[in-house]
Amino acid sequence: MFNTKSVDFIWLVLMGLTLLSAAIAESPDQGLVLILVITFTVAYKGRMIVDHFMELKDANRLLRNSMRVYFYVIPGMIVLVYLFPDLIARLTTL
Amino acid sequence: MPDSIAPSPQAVIPAKNHIPGNMAIWVGILSEMTEFALMFIVYFLAKVHNPEFFSEGPLRLNTTAGVLNTLVLLSSSYFVIKAIKSIRIGQVARCQRWLWYAVAMGALYLIIKFYEYHWNSERGLATDTDIFFTVYYYTTFNHLLHVGWGSGAILWAIMGIRMGGITQHNHSGLEAVAVYWHMIDLAWIVIFPLLYVLR
Repeated sequence: MFNTKSVDFIWLVLMGLTLLSAAIAESPDQGLVLILVITFTVAYKGRMIVDHFMELKDANRLLRNSMRVYFYVIPGMIVLVYLFPDLIARLTTL
Repeated sequence: MPDSIAPSPQAVIPAKNHIPGNMAIWVGILSEMTEFALMFIVYFLAKVHNPEFFSEGPLRLNTTAGVLNTLVLLSSSYFVIKAIKSIRIGQVARCQRWLWYAVAMGALYLIIKFYEYHWNSERGLATDTDIFFTVYYYTTFNHLLHVGWGSGAILWAIMGIRMGGITQHNHSGLEAVAVYWHMIDLAWIVIFPLLYVLR
């Protein structure tokens, strides 16, 4: 059995999530649910690499938080752009 | 380097709150992450202003190449962390082997990416096809350059191990290369869904 905290197990999970994203890429219609799945995938992959591959989980707090925040903000922007494209376009029109 | 180096009975365990690598590499990593964040903001803005191009663009790309490169980069990151864990227990030869696997993944990534660019070119897809492809080429070529010099950095670490500059008890240089390589993987983890999956 795999230790779920081991890098071997995490690697397999990340590979599986990539294949899930590939299946979604082929999906003809991407609704909110699929967008949320993609967003979660990005956030989760980022968190796993930051915590376990970069080994920031028990490392310097400032570095850990800086890297973790990145993978809250970018996935959040994916959802915002999906939900409010016209509003964002209006706000960013010169 | 002989494969028979006995692992030290005392594994080197990083102290709590330590800085992986060194502070200088983290200045570089945070700068690079900021640079990629600016590219992502450009992508988001271009998308909301040109939704039709960003809806059609991903369908014209070679998704298989994008998926393969994601799997290749994730595997390279896995090999790098295995190398770090090996050197901490004194398994220097095994560490080098994992690093060579990571370099091979870096080379494979570049081969797949150049094949993808060639595949695009045969279909008339270029930097000036539309705004989606301008963003696609700017972002992916920039990332490709990082994979190139990141692979060079791993080769430098292998040389450092072979020459005795990187050891079980002095491997902050290897850690610095490792976290930099993971940063390159992190950037691709965002690039892949933005350009190949989301429409």
